[in-house]
Amino acid sequence: MFGEYPLILNDLTPIHWALTGLMIAGVVVGMQWFLNRSFGISSGLEFLCALGSKAPHFRQVAQDRSGAWRLPFMVGLVVAGALSAITSGGWHLMGDSGMLDQVVGLSDPQKFLWMFGGGLCIGFGTRLAGGCTSGHGIFGISTFQWPSLVATLSFMGAGAGTTFLIYRVLNGG
Amino acid sequence: MKNKERLSFLILGGIFGWILSRSGASDYDYIQRMFLLEDFQLFGIIGGAVAFGAPVLWWLKRQGKSYGGQPLDLSRKPYHRGVIPGGILFGVGWSITGMCPGPILVNMGEGKWTAFAAFFGAVCGAYLYGLLRPSMSRFLQVPQGDQGI
Repeated sequence: MFGEYPLILNDLTPIHWALTGLMIAGVVVGMQWFLNRSFGISSGLEFLCALGSKAPHFRQVAQDRSGAWRLPFMVGLVVAGALSAITSGGWHLMGDSGMLDQVVGLSDPQKFLWMFGGGLCIGFGTRLAGGCTSGHGIFGISTFQWPSLVATLSFMGAGAGTTFLIYRVLNGG
Repeated sequence: MKNKERLSFLILGGIFGWILSRSGASDYDYIQRMFLLEDFQLFGIIGGAVAFGAPVLWWLKRQGKSYGGQPLDLSRKPYHRGVIPGGILFGVGWSITGMCPGPILVNMGEGKWTAFAAFFGAVCGAYLYGLLRPSMSRFLQVPQGDQGI
């Protein structure tokens, strides 16, 4: 029911959900209290674009100095992923995607396009909605901002619908 | 931004990334099992984070100051016409890739090349949004005072 399966990453047993939730809450609260910044990831995508684009919207993003923390925070996520792999059985380049490989069975170029296409939806969608799972789903709901609840219901519903379509309709249960 | 502050965010990102990597939040199958209602690990994580975080954030907001004494700078999440379509589009992408933005970065670190493809797509998607944003202003109807979004 809760975390019964091993992770794709080196067959690890996942951390208990309640402990994970507590630790994430610690990050969100710690960031707000000590560093006075609100938790969220997807704005960082626009921040990255603003490093290389002079389009009017990105010029505005670049002017907002309060976004400078996003880059080190994102680097931290990548470094943590690498350390997590190294300390749990080794780091190796892999394309393992569990059920996607077993059920849909795409070739590598197809899988690249699949992931790229999904990424496009994520980049455009999160920015249009003004947040992702962290900014809306965790921070926004934790601070009782109703638009975040609307966004969260939208992406949870659409995600469930899409997964249901892929694994229950198109590729049979 | 001072180097000390940069380091703080790097470490905090590291802690968050480690949690995402080891809890199933950046695992393709866990995402699908959440959407199929087969395993409640991720619902537990998100629900737990909200349940533990909300009371403290409520108190923080009420006292209105950060630890350093500055006025609390709490992000506002205004409602506009992009919230629902954007949320839906993001949900589709989350299901397709099995990753939301944080886990894309974590999975890149873990060595999953699929995450590099998703990251490339996400940056392109955000770029496209930025290019189109000025012409969407009238449609979005972002409330006055939140125009920076």
